[in-house]
Amino acid sequence: MTAAGSSAQEVKTDLRNEVHPRRVEAGLLLMVGATVAAAYGMASFGASETIPADVGPFLFWMFGLGLVVHLAVRRWAPAADPVFVPVALLLNGLGYVVITRLDGGLAALQSTWTAVGVGGLVATLVVLPRVRVLESYRYLLGLAGLGLLVLPLVPGFGREINGARIWASVGPVNFQPGEFAKLALAAFFAAYLVDSRELLRTRLELRDLAPIGVAWAGSLGVMILERDLGSSLLFFTLFVVVLWVASERWIVLGVGGGLFVAGAVVSWQLFDHVQARVDSWIDPFADPKGDGFQIVEASFALADGGLTGTGLGRGEPGRIPFVETDFIFAAIGEELGLAGSSAVLMAFLILVGSGLRIAIRTSRIFDKLFALGLTTLIGVQAFVIIGGVLRVVPLTGITLPFVSYGGSSLVANYVLLALLVKLSHEQRSAEAM
Amino acid sequence: MNPRIRRLGIAFVVLYVLLFVQLNRVQFFGAERLQEDVNNTRGLIREFGRPRGSIVTADGVVLARSVPYDGSVDFVRQYPEGDLYAHIVGYQSLNVAATGLERVYNDELAGTPVGQQLVSFGDLFADRDTTAMLRLSIRHDVQTAARNALGDRRGSVVALDPRTGELIAMWTYPSFDPNRLADPDGSAANAAYSELRSDPDDPLLAKAYREIFFPGSTFKLVTAAAGIESGLIDATAPVFAAGEAYDPIPSGLPIRNFGGSTCGGDLVEILRVSCNTAFAEMGAEWVGPAGMVDAAESFGFNTAPGIDLPSPATSRFPVEFGNRLADVDFYRGIDEARDLARPNGSVSIHEDSARLAQTAIGQNDVAATPLQMALVAAAIANGGLVMTPHVVAELVAADGSLYETIESEISRIAMRTSTANTLAEAMRVVASEGTARNLLVDGLDIGGKTGTAQLGTDPPNSHAWIVGFAGRAGEDPSLAFAVIVEAQEGASEQTGGRVAAPIARSVIEAFFGVS
Repeated sequence: MTAAGSSAQEVKTDLRNEVHPRRVEAGLLLMVGATVAAAYGMASFGASETIPADVGPFLFWMFGLGLVVHLAVRRWAPAADPVFVPVALLLNGLGYVVITRLDGGLAALQSTWTAVGVGGLVATLVVLPRVRVLESYRYLLGLAGLGLLVLPLVPGFGREINGARIWASVGPVNFQPGEFAKLALAAFFAAYLVDSRELLRTRLELRDLAPIGVAWAGSLGVMILERDLGSSLLFFTLFVVVLWVASERWIVLGVGGGLFVAGAVVSWQLFDHVQARVDSWIDPFADPKGDGFQIVEASFALADGGLTGTGLGRGEPGRIPFVETDFIFAAIGEELGLAGSSAVLMAFLILVGSGLRIAIRTSRIFDKLFALGLTTLIGVQAFVIIGGVLRVVPLTGITLPFVSYGGSSLVANYVLLALLVKLSHEQRSAEAM
Repeated sequence: MNPRIRRLGIAFVVLYVLLFVQLNRVQFFGAERLQEDVNNTRGLIREFGRPRGSIVTADGVVLARSVPYDGSVDFVRQYPEGDLYAHIVGYQSLNVAATGLERVYNDELAGTPVGQQLVSFGDLFADRDTTAMLRLSIRHDVQTAARNALGDRRGSVVALDPRTGELIAMWTYPSFDPNRLADPDGSAANAAYSELRSDPDDPLLAKAYREIFFPGSTFKLVTAAAGIESGLIDATAPVFAAGEAYDPIPSGLPIRNFGGSTCGGDLVEILRVSCNTAFAEMGAEWVGPAGMVDAAESFGFNTAPGIDLPSPATSRFPVEFGNRLADVDFYRGIDEARDLARPNGSVSIHEDSARLAQTAIGQNDVAATPLQMALVAAAIANGGLVMTPHVVAELVAADGSLYETIESEISRIAMRTSTANTLAEAMRVVASEGTARNLLVDGLDIGGKTGTAQLGTDPPNSHAWIVGFAGRAGEDPSLAFAVIVEAQEGASEQTGGRVAAPIARSVIEAFFGVS
C-alpha cells in the first residue's frame, strides 16, 4: 500500500499542473462538433449537391446536447476521464449522419432517441450519488435483469420483429429490454462476485462453478426462446470474463470456453437459422442471392469504399439489408473508406482502453468488476457485430453501440457511458485525495 | 486482479487488430477481386445511374440511346431499330453481360476516359457532359437493303469501303431484339436471354464476323493470288488442260467439276467458269503448301481480324501437309505453241498434297467468316492492301465537337498491286460473262466471284456465296462485299450466282443510289 500511496501523491501533483480534464473535454467536444457538422453538410452535398435546409436546427441540437452533457459532467463528475464523452458523441454523431443519409425518416426518430439518451446520462449522473450504492441492491438488480430478459417472452408484452423475439411493448413504446438487462446483470455479477470472490480463489469445487452453469443455461435459453444469438453471446462472455478476473483462475476460461463450444454445437445442430449463419460465414458466396446476400453486399460496399471511400452520400449502401442497424459499419466503410472504418475501430478501442484503465486503477472491488463488465459489454458488442460484418465471426444481429439506429440501444449505452464516467470520476478523485 | 485485466486489455487489442487486418483485406488488398465478382452489380448500377452516349449511323439514324426510367435504375438503354443492328451495337443490360459496341466502347459511351473528361483547362472546375456519341460508318439505307434482300433465309451480308476498311453494312439473319435483354425487369431479361440461347439458329451470334463457313469457290481468288505471286501464272498463261477430274499426287480421290463438266484454260477462263480441276492442280502442283499457306495468311487467315467488335472468329487455313515427298519440276498444261516458257522451278509434293488440292478450291479444312471473304474482295479492289475493318467512324462530344476520328489503317499487304489488278480484271470478266452475271448493274464497274460450298448430297445442299466489288466507272471501287446464304438446296456452281448475287446487287444499288 505504500507504493499505491506514493503513486497517488504523484497523481495529485499531476492534476494540479495538468490542464483540467473538463477543459480537455470541452476542446475535444468542439472538434467532434466540427467534424460531425462537416460530415452532415458533406453527406447532403454528396447526395443532392445542396446544403441541407435544416442545417441550422441540426447544429443547434448537436451543440446543445453536447453542451448539456458537458455541463452535467462538469457538475456531477468533474474529475472523470475526458475521452469518454467526446468519443461516444463522435460515434453517435457519425452514426446519425449516416442514418440521415440512408433514411431521413429514421433520422428524426434517432435524434429524439439521442436526446432521451442524453437525458438518461444526466439522470444517471444526478440520481447516483456513488456508483457503489448499486452494490447493495444486487439481488434486486439481478431479478430486474432476469425480468427484463424474459419480458419479451411474456404474453401481452412480448413482440416478435424480424424473427427475433426481443421486443416488449409498454403502452405505445416498443423497446428491447435486453439492452437494459445487460446493465443490470453487469452490476449484479460485479456485486455477487465481491462476496464470493475470496471463496472462489481459495477452493474451486464443482458447485462453485454452478453460477457459470446458470449463466450458460440462461444465455442459451435467451438464444433458443428469443432467437437472439448476439445478446446470448454477449451475456455469456460478460459473465465468464468477470468471473475469470474475480476468481483469478484459468479454469474458468477453460470451462467457459468448453461450455461455449458445447452450446454452439448443440444450437448448430438444433436450429436452421444458426446453420444458415455459420454457412454464410464460411462461404457467403455459396448463396450470394440468399443467405449470403447481406454479407456479400457488405463486402462489395466495403470494397467500393477502398482507402478513402466514395464520399458521404455518394455510395450505394442502401443495397445492404438492415444497413441502418446491424450493417451500419459497412455503410461507413463504403462512404468513408478504410480511413473512416479504421477510425471507428480506434474509437471503440479508446473506449475499451479508458474503461479498463478505471478497472485497473480503482481500489474498490465492486467498482473494479463493474467497470470491467461495462467495458467488456461495449468492447465485445462492437467486436461481435463488426466481426460479423467483416466475416471474422459468424454474423449475429446486434447493434453497433452509439452508431446504429435504435432507441433502446442508444439510451442503454448512454446510461452505460454515464456509469463509466461516474466510476472514472470516483476513481480519479480518490486518487487525487 | 489487475494482471488479468491487463491481459484482457491485450486480448481486446488482439481482437481489434484482427478486425483491422480483415478490414484491410476487404477494403484494400481484396477490393479489386470483390469489385470484379460476378455477383457484384454495383458498377452496373452506377452505370445505369447516369446517361450514356447514343450510337448513330453515318446517315444519322439513332441505334441506341439512354432514356430516363422510373424504377430500380435511373436510365435504361433503348434500341429503336430493334434487331437490325443487334449484332453491331450489342446491348447493355443489368442482367446479361454487354456485347457489341456497348461493350467495346463502354468507357467512351459512359464518359470516363480522361481524354473525354479533360478536354480543356476549364473542365477541372465545370461539370460537363463527358459522354461520347458513336457515329458509325454503317449506312442505314444499305443495311436495310441487305436485310430486305436476304429476307428470312439464314445468312450474312458484309459490305465495306475497300479503301478505308469502314464497314457500310453488316447483317446476319436470324438476329434478335436487344430491347428484350436491356429490359430493366430482370426476370423478363433473363427469360429472353435463355430463350435466345436455346434457339438452335443461335440468333445471338453475329455470324457475319463470329462464325466460320466453308468458303467454297470464292476461295479460288486466294489460290489465284498465290499462283500469280508465285511468278508461274498470269492472266493468260499457262493454259490448264481441259479435264473432267484432277487426280491428286501422290494419291487420293479425284476432284471433279460441278455437274461432271469439263473445263480448263487460262486464269481468266478458269475463274470465269470456276473450274475445280484447274485450281486444284494450281494449288497442289504449281503453288505448293508453302505458297498457299503464305497467300492465305497474307489475306488474314489464321489471325483474328482487328475489327472494333468483340470476339471476332479467326478464319482458318491448314498449315500442316505432312512430309515432303519429292520436288516436281514438270509443268503440265503449258501452252508450248504460244511459247510461254516459265522460269524453271519445282514444287514440293507432300504426303497431304491431295488435301492441299481440296483446300485450293475452298474445301476440306478451309473455313472463313463472311467478313474475311469480304476482306479478300476488298484487298483485290484496293490494289492488294487489306485495311483494318471497323464500324465506328467518329466519337462526338455532347456539344458536337469531335473527341476522336477513327483513322484508316493498313492491316496487311495481301499481294502485289499488279497481282490485285490482274485478279480484279478477271473478276470483272466473271461478272460480265461468268457465274456472277446476276451482280451487274448498269453504269457501274463490278467484279465478283461466286461460291457454292457443298455441305451434303442427300439432299444436295450448300452455302451460296458471292464476293466482289463495285465502283463508279472510271473510279477506284468504293464497295467490297461478301454474301452467304446458308444451307441452300442444290449443289451446282450456279447456286451462288442464282441465290447470293441478287442480294449483293440490292446492296450495290442501295449504296450507289441506282436501281
